[in-house]
Amino acid sequence: MNFALQTAIDALSVGSIYALSALGIGLLFGIMRLINFAQSEFVTIGIYILMLSAGIWFPLAALGAICVVVVLALVVERLAFRPIRTADPATLLVTSFAVSYLLQYSLVLIFGARPIGLDILPDLARPFVIGSVRVPRIDIATIGATAVLLSAFALFLRKTRIGIEMRAAAVDFRMARLLGIRANRVIAVAFAMSGLLAAVVAILFAARTGVAAPTIGLELALVGFVATVIGGMGSLVGAVFGGLAVGVVTVLLQALLPPELRAYREAFVYIVVIAVLVLRPQGLFRGAAARERV
Amino acid sequence: MMKDLYKTMIVSTALFAAPGMAHATDDTVTVGFPVALSGFVAPYDDGPRKAALLAIDNINAEGGLLGKKIVSVEADTKSDPGEGANAATDVLGKGATMVMVTCDFDFGAPAALVAQAQNKIAFSSCAADPKFGAQGIGNNAYTMATASIAQGALLAEFAYNELGFRKAFVLNDLQVEYNKSLCNSFQERFAELAGAEGIVDVDAYNAGNDTSIAPQITRIKSHDDIDVIMFCGAINGGSYVRQIRAAGIDEPMLAGESMDGSYWLEAVPDLSNFYVATYGSIFGDDPDPEVNAFVTKFKEKYGELPVTAHSMTGYSVIEAWAEAVKRANSFDTDAVRAELDKFSDEPLLVGETSFSPDIHINTGRPMTMLEIENGKHKAIGSFSAEKVSDIKF
Repeated sequence: MNFALQTAIDALSVGSIYALSALGIGLLFGIMRLINFAQSEFVTIGIYILMLSAGIWFPLAALGAICVVVVLALVVERLAFRPIRTADPATLLVTSFAVSYLLQYSLVLIFGARPIGLDILPDLARPFVIGSVRVPRIDIATIGATAVLLSAFALFLRKTRIGIEMRAAAVDFRMARLLGIRANRVIAVAFAMSGLLAAVVAILFAARTGVAAPTIGLELALVGFVATVIGGMGSLVGAVFGGLAVGVVTVLLQALLPPELRAYREAFVYIVVIAVLVLRPQGLFRGAAARERV
Repeated sequence: MMKDLYKTMIVSTALFAAPGMAHATDDTVTVGFPVALSGFVAPYDDGPRKAALLAIDNINAEGGLLGKKIVSVEADTKSDPGEGANAATDVLGKGATMVMVTCDFDFGAPAALVAQAQNKIAFSSCAADPKFGAQGIGNNAYTMATASIAQGALLAEFAYNELGFRKAFVLNDLQVEYNKSLCNSFQERFAELAGAEGIVDVDAYNAGNDTSIAPQITRIKSHDDIDVIMFCGAINGGSYVRQIRAAGIDEPMLAGESMDGSYWLEAVPDLSNFYVATYGSIFGDDPDPEVNAFVTKFKEKYGELPVTAHSMTGYSVIEAWAEAVKRANSFDTDAVRAELDKFSDEPLLVGETSFSPDIHINTGRPMTMLEIENGKHKAIGSFSAEKVSDIKF
């Protein structure tokens, strides 16, 4: 019983990290059809900033990481994506790979490839113990952060002028521009938001793992991308639930598969992903932009 | 067609003529380093390369090798196996008599294959895969590593005999081949000593996929009779040790050379009850005074301690090759190889080293055990495995 309960908590724990990562990927996809692989480097650079600010009062270090990553996201948008905004999605995707490699190898150049240990929020890594069940504080923080950011973004998209403009741009970019929406501003704000999300992921991830390494954000971005696809491209809620679903499936398979099959766990995870896409090609939740209009 | 032939001739003449013109003076002999000077593998080649250069300095200070001064040439593999062959061709073209390649089978083999094809000795500093030798590359390929199967057996014997542990949980990182081999050989040897019930349970993660190991931690926690956790983690290992300790699992943990060094300890401040098998202590307290002298010299030359003891393998590559050259009284590859293959418990910096025509990796060599207590490393002695299973290529 305890094993089952603990596994359920673990599933939520891993799912919540994936969900938060997916939110950043899903946001940019929803607005500008861009699958931004450089999102993983936004996270990684956030972790390096936290590593560099070891010893500084934590809220200040966190604020520093958020500022750096948001500015980085804006710079990347201005220099890499704005010049090719009207190109087709494949060009955008390839550009995001290029940006991702550029940032990754810049980190290797500056810090070397060897992982560097860091210790932020050490108390957050420890669990609450209720009976014989562990509830890691970091998971409560991650789930909390996901819920707060999702609600905040949902409110922002529905209630503020720029949010409404973003949704309009997501549905029909050209029409939105014809109606007087300033594309540069809308897209810059979207990038800033994805930078903010990446920085939050960086803080929670660094607290959990205590390691800065040039490729540490890669897996999160990949899962985030898969989550966005199965959640329904263009839907923020879908991205979050997609991330949660990938995490839950991963943990359940890890807990239930016999040892000799556990090594092939990823294969089973992706069988489930493929099954979801076969049964619901549009994803679990369909984004507004994906609906056909007559 | 004729044009192409001419082109090929011109290019090949240029290729073969240039090195002769540039080098091969009578009073020097060249050692080549086609290793990763940049990219993801660079940190793992850096220490062995620096240590090898230190060994070259020492030999030159004592009058050189067979009266010749050793000079070194380097070429960057850029951490790309494909570039490894180019880098090897480059240093061999500059007259290298011997090459030292990357500390890994996958990244080091392409360069070694080029050396093999040109009949030159190729030493990997610390590729722990037995395939790095006559079977996988050719009779000119050697590695200075202690085979991972020997490390696993050594850790099993250390846990059983020295620490008195009877129940082990095995946690494996499937991302790296070295880890799998380490954990498998631990499991095999520990089960021989403590019986099959000695292995309480096994679980694995993949550092390439798993950022959190919550389910693995739950499995460890579901057992209350674990004496020790065999942890076969590598590069990002610190992150998993942090998660394990944060979950309140304070049982002793054992690890192989891949967890050597203190660069990751910041992730788990005040770590205790953690044991690492390594080539030697870089913390100045190795049971072997030669190792401590090496660490001091390394610090003098480079201004910092070696990051891990893997650097010692690079030093011993030069030691071994120079010794074989002296015995052969020649730089000729066939003569040097014949002497290397006769090595039997040669006292090198990394420990007693033996080779045979078939086996170009060491299994019987002792390793230093380090204990981490309150975030500080302490050498607790030198141990070797009594029984190591046969090498499978």
